[in-house]
Amino acid sequence: MFLYYLPLIVTVLAAAICFVANDKISKISTLASASVSIIFSLYIWVLNNVSTQFLYIDAISKIMLVTISIIYLTTAIFSGSYFKHISKPLLKKNLYWAFLNLFVLSMFFSVMVNNLGLIWIGIEATTITSALLVAIDNNFASIEASWRYIIIVSVGLVISLVGIIFIYDQTHTLNIAVMLKNHVSESRIILIGSAMAIVGFGTKAGIFPMHTWLPDVHGRSIAPVSAIFSSVLLPSALFGIIRISQIIPFEDIKQFMFILGILTILFASIFMINQKYYKRMFAYSSMENMGMILIGVSLGKAGLLGAMILLVSHAFAKSSVFYLTGNILSVYKTRKTAHVHSLVKNMPYTAYGLILSSLAVTGAPPFAVFIGEFFIISAVYRIYGFAYTIIILLALLTAFLSINYKVAKMSFSERNSTQKTKDEWVSALIPLINLTLSFCVLFAIPAINNILKGITG
Amino acid sequence: MKEAFVMVGFLEITLVIFMQWQVYLKKIVTTFSLSSYAISIFLFVDGAVLNNTNLLVLSALTAAVRGFFIPSFIRKKFRKEDYLEREIKSVVPTAMSVVLSLFFVVVGYIVYHATLYNSVGLPGGSIPIALLFQGIFLIMSRNNAFVQLIGYMVMENSLFLFGGYLFPELPLVIEGGILLDLNSSGSNRNSYDFRHYYET
Repeated sequence: MFLYYLPLIVTVLAAAICFVANDKISKISTLASASVSIIFSLYIWVLNNVSTQFLYIDAISKIMLVTISIIYLTTAIFSGSYFKHISKPLLKKNLYWAFLNLFVLSMFFSVMVNNLGLIWIGIEATTITSALLVAIDNNFASIEASWRYIIIVSVGLVISLVGIIFIYDQTHTLNIAVMLKNHVSESRIILIGSAMAIVGFGTKAGIFPMHTWLPDVHGRSIAPVSAIFSSVLLPSALFGIIRISQIIPFEDIKQFMFILGILTILFASIFMINQKYYKRMFAYSSMENMGMILIGVSLGKAGLLGAMILLVSHAFAKSSVFYLTGNILSVYKTRKTAHVHSLVKNMPYTAYGLILSSLAVTGAPPFAVFIGEFFIISAVYRIYGFAYTIIILLALLTAFLSINYKVAKMSFSERNSTQKTKDEWVSALIPLINLTLSFCVLFAIPAINNILKGITG
Repeated sequence: MKEAFVMVGFLEITLVIFMQWQVYLKKIVTTFSLSSYAISIFLFVDGAVLNNTNLLVLSALTAAVRGFFIPSFIRKKFRKEDYLEREIKSVVPTAMSVVLSLFFVVVGYIVYHATLYNSVGLPGGSIPIALLFQGIFLIMSRNNAFVQLIGYMVMENSLFLFGGYLFPELPLVIEGGILLDLNSSGSNRNSYDFRHYYET
């Protein structure tokens, strides 16, 4: 049983070391903790599912653990090379590492615990541990983004806590295993409570209508923070919704999730068309993908399989995109899409990485995002029919064209004002590794399908 | 305790409406501090009557963090920088914001009677829900970061009143409360940085 706790223990230890050690030791301990977390997460993958008083680890938890730990490592490596671009950081470097470890710890905690209240606590803890990471750039815009993030997300989480209290009123327990075993009976309070909890957790996951913090935070925080937010924080918040959909599997709740998912992708794809800032554009792309995952979760079975494939492959591809936007920002010193030209000429590795990563996040084959979306859309067609399928396809097409057109323009349009820059090898390599991983998810689909069999049937 | 709950709840709603029309931040902070102490005393008495340690801890948390620590911190900042004291512009005009704040009390009543009333059976149970809506509205209707923070803490107070009185046996309520307070303290620091940048 002790083995299951190891990812939590190593991140706690790394955080504790960072609080007392210097920058170099903090960095080393974070890298070591992240590497060891990957090994432990992969080991937990092959172990049996577990349900104790404190832990509830099923297939979805395992998928989340592996994804979080891999992004943890790549973000730690990328942060090390990116930190020199921050002129007056809000925190000392060792504190940055400490908060990064605590942030990952709270995500690990959220996906492992056997209690809806503890999941809420874990997700709330991610806000506390990440607020300072958002403001690390220490300028007006990043502090404002951090402020909006805290207020909007906290309001959302208070709503979800009220929802959880409603659920508790009916079930008299928050223990996930007990609730799954007892089969919660349908009532008006449980439906309202679940809807409130979904809206609350959805706030943190960037789900419409309480998503407004997301473009600001992704647009204004530093590249590694945007990357870890988009790739694993949003799915960790969605994990709360996944648990609710497992505990309260009523048709009304599934339809509510489906509608929220559709509204999210519609809203995000419309806002992408006119987006002038490349980081914000990719933030809306994350919203769109979270909307698709929510739809997949609401449909269950093949939809859930698609959602999990999308979740993992999006995590790798989107982190790659945000690392690369960090490279661009450090050279071009602008967030405006229109001010970035000749990327292929000036930063070839970054340019080609960005083109491929953008194709990956927008669901172009052969990346696994395409397969995930294909499963979800097939399930939508089977359950809801032609009209909803067309709406979703149009939204996805809009997002695909908006993003890839702008990325192509940034990459291939010619202007001589910017000097050719040599790509730094760490900054160029890490995104390419994540991009490759996003592609390799394709080969992991049988394993994901196999591990999910107990849930998808 | 039912009468005391209704009285404290009524007082809380009145104090939030008072905060809604105030432009002087110092008065808003003092009013919020008073409202937190009122909730703290209520939770303390309720905890003593029910012999419930959870409620006593919640009472202490409410008094220490939202009654004393955060209001004192904000007042200290005002003493140093006078320009922070008054909010000239708000998103919603004052008269309209008071009307809307009262409207949310009615909405809270309707929501409560449509959902929890049959299960809880307490006539004044709509008060915390009304406070929750009023807190959200206070955040939405003001531009000032400190007032938004207070709106968030009004929501937190309502949650303690809600969870603490209606569901005193709710597990993890203390842990949740501590985290929310940590969040408030973090926001407090952040709101100061934000205002500082905003004004200078």
